[in-house]
Amino acid sequence: MAAAAALAEAIASLDVRFGARTVTAVTAAAERAEQRRSFTDTSFDRISGGIGPGEIVALTGEGTCGKVTLALRAVAGAQRDGGMAMWIDPARSFDALAAQRSGVDLACVIVVRPRSRDEILLAAGAGLRGDGFRMVVVDLGPSFAQIASPDALSSVVPRVRGSTAALVVVSDAPAMRISLPTFVFERAGWESRHGRTTGWSVAVRRVGDARSDHALLKAAV
Amino acid sequence: MARAVAFVHLRGEVSDARHAKVLEALSRLLPKVGVEGPGLFACDLRGTERLLGPAERVGERIVATLERVKIPCAVGIAERPFAARVAAERAPAGGVVRIRPGEERAFLAMLPLSALPLDEESRDELALLGIRTVGAFADLDSGAVLDRFGRAVALTHALARGQDAGEVRGTPPKRRIAARRAWDTPVAAREQLLFILKSLLDGMAAELAQEGIAALRIDARFEREDAPPLRIERVVLPPTSDASALLRSVRWGLEEVPGADGIGQVVGARVEVTEVEPARGRQIGLFAPDGANEDEAMAVARYLRSRLGPDAVVRARVSDADAALAEREAEWEEAVS
Repeated sequence: MAAAAALAEAIASLDVRFGARTVTAVTAAAERAEQRRSFTDTSFDRISGGIGPGEIVALTGEGTCGKVTLALRAVAGAQRDGGMAMWIDPARSFDALAAQRSGVDLACVIVVRPRSRDEILLAAGAGLRGDGFRMVVVDLGPSFAQIASPDALSSVVPRVRGSTAALVVVSDAPAMRISLPTFVFERAGWESRHGRTTGWSVAVRRVGDARSDHALLKAAV
Repeated sequence: MARAVAFVHLRGEVSDARHAKVLEALSRLLPKVGVEGPGLFACDLRGTERLLGPAERVGERIVATLERVKIPCAVGIAERPFAARVAAERAPAGGVVRIRPGEERAFLAMLPLSALPLDEESRDELALLGIRTVGAFADLDSGAVLDRFGRAVALTHALARGQDAGEVRGTPPKRRIAARRAWDTPVAAREQLLFILKSLLDGMAAELAQEGIAALRIDARFEREDAPPLRIERVVLPPTSDASALLRSVRWGLEEVPGADGIGQVVGARVEVTEVEPARGRQIGLFAPDGANEDEAMAVARYLRSRLGPDAVVRARVSDADAALAEREAEWEEAVS
């Protein structure tokens, strides 16, 4: 009994220092993480393996290449079994109609509109600390309108580990000073049908992936 | 002892503090004490005879107990709550009036109609019928009263006949759940302080859970070596008896402390739950075992709303998917009111 009490106390102290659920039984943790991975139902899932709780994913690439759309699909995936999501939107560019078309349940999305870098950090930290959200998305907006770079999120990154939420960072440019699992979006070519341009395809690859495996997403105009 | 109810009616000024003091004193003395109004308490005396003696003796003990804290009162005891209440209200300060079982109707009969909770209109109508005392009203036929005056007056008629079956609804006194700890080596880091608070809050959470209540408001006071005490008051939404939620709330409070690190050299902490609510079960998401706690999400939204101001924490709703202008496609509303 004394050993069990000491173990419980040690786990509690680790939880306090490093966040909730830092220590979990190996099997339980693996099962839960597997059950709670969010999928986008695109070929992105093949290269990413889904986005799990306590994980960070950065989606980067030039404008209108599908980063936000993929993030919305990820939110929809996170909501599939009833989760809430937080969308941090300093650029005030959240498109409710696009979200709905991506399958997002808007009633279960809290959109936070911070006005400064500190407010972004406050919102992201709060979203990751509790167990209220399945996914926190920080859409830093187009580079010309950014009030913070992905590097500014360095203080939030340690909070992701042990959180019940996943953190998705959407930005034009990748982080330079911190290492985030990053997926780069690049235009691969135009899509046409019956001789008419109908959209473009976007290649998504994981930065540092030696296999140079990539996902191909198509965007329609 | 058969069924007996003691009503305690405070005399003089009834402040919140005096009211709370009396409730606490009565709750220590008797097993079931209910609050009927400011300065008016109902005590169920069933099952107290062997321990406390006959009902009159209990009444005297109540008067003596409150006299010791310099609060004058009168006590009315009867089998029926309404008669006990009227007796207490009409007894002199320090007096104990006991109405014997079966004598309630006779006791009430001589009183004017104003002793009954009747509306002005019904009282005037009864006066026109020549009914001016409780006894005369009680003598009326119950069915006729119901037919002519309706249900509310019929219930009052039952009171006049000494037939009320009102039970005493217990009101527990305000619980003080607090914990204190002091240490020799000052703590300057927030995380270290939270580590200490965790064990403090674990004990308080266990107490809350045992009582079946949840903390709504907590007050934390930190003694500092290099500065005046730091006080943090937090509203915990949703109310909880969960230690980690309480700790999270205190953490947010500490993070709001201005300054580089902010907390100074802390050498002691006292945390008190200052407001509680009955604990309610948490709605569990049927298909979402983790991370789908909407209450928790809304608590975060409320916190962010308080920090970021209006229009910063919102929800979107598609209002017109075919709108010509993109800005008319969606409507925004505050996520928390």
